[in-house]
Amino acid sequence: MKVRWTGRRGNVGTQKNDILQGTLVLLILKTLHSNGRLHGYAITSHIHRVSSDLLRVEEGSLYPALHRMEQHGWLRSEWGITEKNREARFYALTARGRRELAQEEASWAKLTEGVGRVLRFV
Amino acid sequence: MTWMRRLWNALRPGKVERDIDRELAFHVAERADELRAGGVSADEAVRDARRQLGNFVVQRERARDVNVSAWLDALLRNIRLAARTLIRTPAFSASVIVTLALGIGANGAVFSAIDAILLRPLPFHDADRLVRLSEIRTASAFTNIVPVRLDDWNRLNTTFEAISGYFTDDVVDTTSDLPERIRRAVVTPGFFDVLRIAPERGRRFTEAEHQFGSAPAILLSERLWRARGADPAAPGTTIRSAGMPVTIVGVMPMFPFADPSVDVWAPMPVNAPYAQSRAGGGWFTGIGRLKPGVTLEQAREDLKSVQARLAMQFPDTDRDVAVRIEPLKETVVGGARRSLWLVFGAVSVLLLIACTNIAALLLSRATQREHEVSVRFALGASRTAVCGQLLAEAGVLGLAGAALGVPVALAAARVIQGLAPDLPRLDEVTIGARSLLYTTAAAAVVAILCGLMPAVRGARGGKSLSRSGGGGAQVVPRHSVQWLLVGVQVALSVALAAGAALLLRTSDALSRVEQGFDASRVLTLHVTGRFGEDGGDYGRVVQRINATLDAIVALPGVRAAATTTMLPGIPGGQQQEFHLVEGRAGMEARLIAESRTVSPSYFDTMGIPLLSGELCRRPGDASGVTEVMVNRSFADRYFPGRSIVGLHLAASTPDRITGIVGDARELGSDRDPVPTVYSCFSAAIPVPWFLVRTDGDPLSAAGAIRVRLKQLEPFRPVYDIAPLERQIADAYSQSHMRTVLLTLFAVTALGLVSAGVYGTLSYAVSLRRREVALHLALGALRRTVVQRLLGTTLRVVGMGCAGGLILALMFTHSLSAMLYGVSPSDPATLAGVIAIVVVVAATAALIPAARAAFVQPMRVLRED
Repeated sequence: MKVRWTGRRGNVGTQKNDILQGTLVLLILKTLHSNGRLHGYAITSHIHRVSSDLLRVEEGSLYPALHRMEQHGWLRSEWGITEKNREARFYALTARGRRELAQEEASWAKLTEGVGRVLRFV
Repeated sequence: MTWMRRLWNALRPGKVERDIDRELAFHVAERADELRAGGVSADEAVRDARRQLGNFVVQRERARDVNVSAWLDALLRNIRLAARTLIRTPAFSASVIVTLALGIGANGAVFSAIDAILLRPLPFHDADRLVRLSEIRTASAFTNIVPVRLDDWNRLNTTFEAISGYFTDDVVDTTSDLPERIRRAVVTPGFFDVLRIAPERGRRFTEAEHQFGSAPAILLSERLWRARGADPAAPGTTIRSAGMPVTIVGVMPMFPFADPSVDVWAPMPVNAPYAQSRAGGGWFTGIGRLKPGVTLEQAREDLKSVQARLAMQFPDTDRDVAVRIEPLKETVVGGARRSLWLVFGAVSVLLLIACTNIAALLLSRATQREHEVSVRFALGASRTAVCGQLLAEAGVLGLAGAALGVPVALAAARVIQGLAPDLPRLDEVTIGARSLLYTTAAAAVVAILCGLMPAVRGARGGKSLSRSGGGGAQVVPRHSVQWLLVGVQVALSVALAAGAALLLRTSDALSRVEQGFDASRVLTLHVTGRFGEDGGDYGRVVQRINATLDAIVALPGVRAAATTTMLPGIPGGQQQEFHLVEGRAGMEARLIAESRTVSPSYFDTMGIPLLSGELCRRPGDASGVTEVMVNRSFADRYFPGRSIVGLHLAASTPDRITGIVGDARELGSDRDPVPTVYSCFSAAIPVPWFLVRTDGDPLSAAGAIRVRLKQLEPFRPVYDIAPLERQIADAYSQSHMRTVLLTLFAVTALGLVSAGVYGTLSYAVSLRRREVALHLALGALRRTVVQRLLGTTLRVVGMGCAGGLILALMFTHSLSAMLYGVSPSDPATLAGVIAIVVVVAATAALIPAARAAFVQPMRVLRED
């Protein structure tokens, strides 16, 4: 539900700004789509890294979102062992999740285009 | 799928929470690692990691699915609310619950009987492969199998794992001072293998014990073993039978055998010289086990060809023999099928009537609560929510009814057992898991049937608050649905009552029918005996039986005594073909007649009149039958206008016809008398039925008879002492059960209908009080008001009756085999039933109609 962005120098928590409800789901779906099987922590790290620290997933929202997505049938999860030999729950996309991703990407594209046009309007 | 998982999660939150805890702990650990790598101290790293994650508990709550919990919460809330609402109207709730409990309980009891008797396989291993075999001969109704032939079938077939046989007889156990009659089943080798039953203690019979002349051995039944003190050391000890010691080799568990009274099992000596003839009547009832995958048809074909080969080999004895194979279960329970399904159908119709009744009640209630529902809608309740709440009420009622229905089912099952003691497998009827499952399912169906329509209508109502605001300009709804439900109840009751009335007419017709014999004040009994007693001298058996008869007749209070091989008035006879020795024209019909062997005193004892000729005489020795009597049907059918007294009839030996007696319904009061030949011989079998006509109550003479027979032969037990009327009633207990239960259900249905009519009309009247009052104030006659209300009711009842008549005509057809002296569409019966239903409904309607007509108009109009 919430993705915080951090300012270039900003620290997490100092400049919190709730933006773009619903983007978390899209980000998770996309992350899993490009990486395959990941645990929750790896998902946050990926988003953080790939967005060049611009986006940081609020951890308090991540897990509820993952569980809801699993219940929707977009993800499936299983317990596994990390390379550090810790027990973690790994998530992967389902066929339904892939369809959902396509839809969300499409609607995101529409949204950004719409917003862009409004901003470009002089 | 996902919905299922959600429900699963919600139902076991413990597991989900543990999973979430583990997952979050992993996250914290990873984050702390990262922070440490960035140079934060270990403690601080963990603290920071946790802080970033936020509150653990909140996480957990958020991660868990709230949707399903909410749904479950709503369900629980609905149930609690429903229970509270129902408790506020205790009279209504109690009457509904009791009605449902009776309906569901009775239904559950009949279902458990059907389940135990008809649906479940017999309690043998792979019981569906067990079949019963019989020998069918054109000239005789005996179906028992000759020993050597049974052996041939067993050796020559290719479709059976094994075929075995048994017969039962009585032996006298003289182990203790008092002689005791015990029932023995003599079995061929492999009998227990076919049934796959092993002794509980001890062992089976050995090969050697099945050889002629070996030391006698028996297996005790568990019942006899327990009756004798359940001695664990019993195997190896002996009992004395006919003065001979017999070794007990083991104890057999109780299992549902064709003859549940069997006390001991004995081995048949297969090579006994007296069992080697192919001619004559058979001994054994055959039981076989099919090989896996073999169908009944294949087995029939197989044994047909086996018997065809035997017929070529032994044309004299085997030419006219055919094999009959039926599933064993069918031979055990087949006779009960129709009665049970009939009762089940009837009790289900009754439950349906009860449901309809309750649906109408709930509907009225829902309408009364329109205001409440409107408020809920106004406060934003969704239609689903309101519907759910109303359904929950029906559900709570249904569940309460089912819970209370279980004890009712237990009691009802006992009633069925009491009413029809001759139903097969009755001791297997229990209210078990399957019955409970059925009852629960029935309750669910009932709740949906009762609740759905009221719930949907209730939820549809209340579109605005003003509608049910009770203003003066209230529009009176027509309540067509309630009246429709009343019509359905009437229709179903008419059909049910028609069935009951036809059965009642049948039993009435049967009680009026001219039996041709007098069963009252006749006592029946058996005196122990068996083939081969007295060293095989049958003449002494004949003397013994004649002496017993003479001793009984000499007693004070005894008018006459006789013996017979079969009791009169009980279904199941034997047809046989006779020839007239003096010859008849070849074109005439074959002389097929019911064959019964009785002592000459039988006709006097049973009150069957001698029409012409004279009574036959008792043959003095073992030479058997020399004289026969025939009944009027026999003479009239086969020899119209010809005197046959003095001629000779032959089945095996030529016997002189000495006289003609009146027709008697020997085969049961529902069967017309058939041509019958009575062979006069008091000792056709060693254990004939004794019939004793007494001056007073037959049972009061039993003591004296017992004492006298004990004086005569102290070591010969007397048993099966019962009045003939009770023996006949027992044989008809299934039809009695049908009649009693259907009548009971029909009366209950009528009660429900009158309650339904009363309730619906009362309710309609309560809504139309103002309208009625206005009419009265404007000068309408009270009589007119009553007439109009009655007219409304009777119109509905009339339509219900018409529908019921159609239902009845469709359904009573299936009864035709159970009816006597009345046709399934008997107009008088159906008209009578409709008259009763109309009168009951009109009576029920009269009270609310009169109450409406006698209101004080001005008071009602001023009320608001």
